[in-house]
Amino acid sequence: MTAVLAIALKDLRQRLRDRSAWVIVFLAPLLITGLMSLAFSGSATFHAKLAVVDLDHGAAAAGLLDTLRSPQLAGTVTVHPYPDGAAAAEALRHGTQQAAIVVPAGFTAALTGGAPEPVTVLDSVDYPLQARVADAVSGSYVAQVNADRLSVATALAAGSVPQDLPRLAAKASALQLPEQVRADGLPGTALKAVSYFAPSMGMFFVLFTVGFAARGYFAEQRQGTLDRIAAAPVGRGALLLGKSLSTFAYSLAGLATTLVAARFVFGADYADPLGVAALCVAMAVAVVCLTALVIAVARTERQAEQLSSVVVFVLVLLGGNFVFASAGPPILRRLALFTPNGWALRGFTDLGTGVHGLTAVGPPLLGIAACSGAAAAATVLLVRRRRTP
Amino acid sequence: MSSTGTAPTTKPGQRAGSVLDCSDLVRRFGSRTAVDGIGLTIRLGETYGLLGPNGAGKTTTIRMVCGLLEPGSGTVRVAGRTMHSAAGAAKRLIGYVPQEIALYPDLTARENLRFFGRLYRLPRRRLDRRVDEVLDLIDLAARADDRVDSLSGGMRRRLNIGAGLVHSPTLLVLDEPTVGVDPQSRHAIMTSVRRFGNEGMAVLYTTHYMEEAERLCDRVGIIDHGRLIAEGTPRELVALVAEKDRVELVAAGDLGRFVEQCRNLPGVEGADVGGEAGGTVHAVVRDARSLLPRLLDLTRTCGVQVRSVQVVEPDLETVFLHLTGTALRE
Repeated sequence: MTAVLAIALKDLRQRLRDRSAWVIVFLAPLLITGLMSLAFSGSATFHAKLAVVDLDHGAAAAGLLDTLRSPQLAGTVTVHPYPDGAAAAEALRHGTQQAAIVVPAGFTAALTGGAPEPVTVLDSVDYPLQARVADAVSGSYVAQVNADRLSVATALAAGSVPQDLPRLAAKASALQLPEQVRADGLPGTALKAVSYFAPSMGMFFVLFTVGFAARGYFAEQRQGTLDRIAAAPVGRGALLLGKSLSTFAYSLAGLATTLVAARFVFGADYADPLGVAALCVAMAVAVVCLTALVIAVARTERQAEQLSSVVVFVLVLLGGNFVFASAGPPILRRLALFTPNGWALRGFTDLGTGVHGLTAVGPPLLGIAACSGAAAAATVLLVRRRRTP
Repeated sequence: MSSTGTAPTTKPGQRAGSVLDCSDLVRRFGSRTAVDGIGLTIRLGETYGLLGPNGAGKTTTIRMVCGLLEPGSGTVRVAGRTMHSAAGAAKRLIGYVPQEIALYPDLTARENLRFFGRLYRLPRRRLDRRVDEVLDLIDLAARADDRVDSLSGGMRRRLNIGAGLVHSPTLLVLDEPTVGVDPQSRHAIMTSVRRFGNEGMAVLYTTHYMEEAERLCDRVGIIDHGRLIAEGTPRELVALVAEKDRVELVAAGDLGRFVEQCRNLPGVEGADVGGEAGGTVHAVVRDARSLLPRLLDLTRTCGVQVRSVQVVEPDLETVFLHLTGTALRE
């Protein structure tokens, strides 16, 4: 055990004397997390300022305005009336409003016949999401109105007398399709961007440890210090354990520093600190296994450097460290399951949305363990094959 | 200051007084046999020189002795502990000094010594004391807390040796410690090695420098093509060629052709080209006085311009040339 600790402490001391290692594993993730946090600071509290132009002045247009001003949308949408489309467009250009809904003249009249005029949504290049919201709300309202029209028309066709038309229309408009959207298992906390990007950047930079450690191994081989250790009464297992321990401790320290700073400086929020710790430990183990694999595959310091760079970039691209994995195509989401960082990010995302305990980190821990196990198994196979004469 | 640990008691399989017993060591790399049946014994307080050209098998032998390489066959015993079955105990008695500077450049001299000492599980207090002793011994106490990459080449060489001494080994194994070293550092290293032997440590020293082997070693083993072709004290080895002379010709021209024809002359037992620029012909001959005119005739026949001729007393170089037919090249 003395030899294991001596090797681990010596490696850590060397690592901490290397300024580039400090920058990459401790400073860079904090810096990038800070920048990401700033960049996405507004995205957690979405709000749309909508201009509404009522050229109809009828009951249907009033209904749309009532919908937009309803208590359900009060926190999301602010409505400002404008006299015409040109004024609304001008407001968009100046950035006073973010999207506009123009209700055409004759919109109400179209309920009882005549050519229906379309409701128009004006958008701004700076606020595409607000235009999408305006489009969705007005589209949903128009769909409801059309459903009302269809019910009235059906009633008339079935023999109702025209005198009943106002009563039927009122009754139809009072009907609402029963709907509810509920995320199963999620308490409903919104994921803050920093809660996603802090572990994401932390893992990205900690994966560079694979390169540091693998290059360090080959540098020791070149210097002859590895032989010198082997000439001492130190078993091969103790040597590997010592080197793994230092890589593990360094990776864990890097990730922990990023996440603690993200929590207390940038306001990242996770439901379960133990779950965060478990994911960090699992990722540090994965880094150790990946390092061993790179050392087993490479034959020189240069090869180790190149191979570890490839490993890092493939993992972060597939794992979703640069983009939300959920925003990617299905194939990318599936490929992320073959990476330890992809699994870890799933865990951090769940923890960031308020999910606790094993529900959040159980599957990710198993996924990371599977990836680490695969890397370790490949390493053992390669080492055995290399030893066979 | 004593550099050695407790003298081990004799173990089964150990020759009386011996620290290192190697028998029939064989190691092959693919189809090439690097070491072919080497056996040697080193006693406590003895400095043993393994002398041979580059590629002769010296480093492979040393790596097997230190447990860095598994022998294909044969055994290595250090104070009776076999490297195969009691590697830990055997390694604890060996101080290994590799040819290259095997130190951590970003650690200080003291940190390097402490690290290598900890691998031998020295208790903290004893380790601190030993590190100070070794720093004094290698004359680096004043630079103890400087990083290795700030030390001069000679200082690093001394520290490289010091790292093999921290745990007070019984057997010190030095693999060509003076290669690429300036004369001053070389002298300092040789003085230290001589001292280790005088203080009772067994030393296995590989070199391809004849004068080092002659000056330092109590016994010398000559190794060539993986075989130990002769062994004895320098005096015993030189006695093998007591009746012979070595002729040194510094010359220019087609020396290869000259050496070829020279070997065919009656009375010439071996000839080869050596020297720094490959301009010196060494020849081991019987009765140099009568052979010299014929050698000079041959230089004229081969178009070789002779700059100087010297007949030298038999030495290890003569022995090597006599035994192998070739000069010991650097």
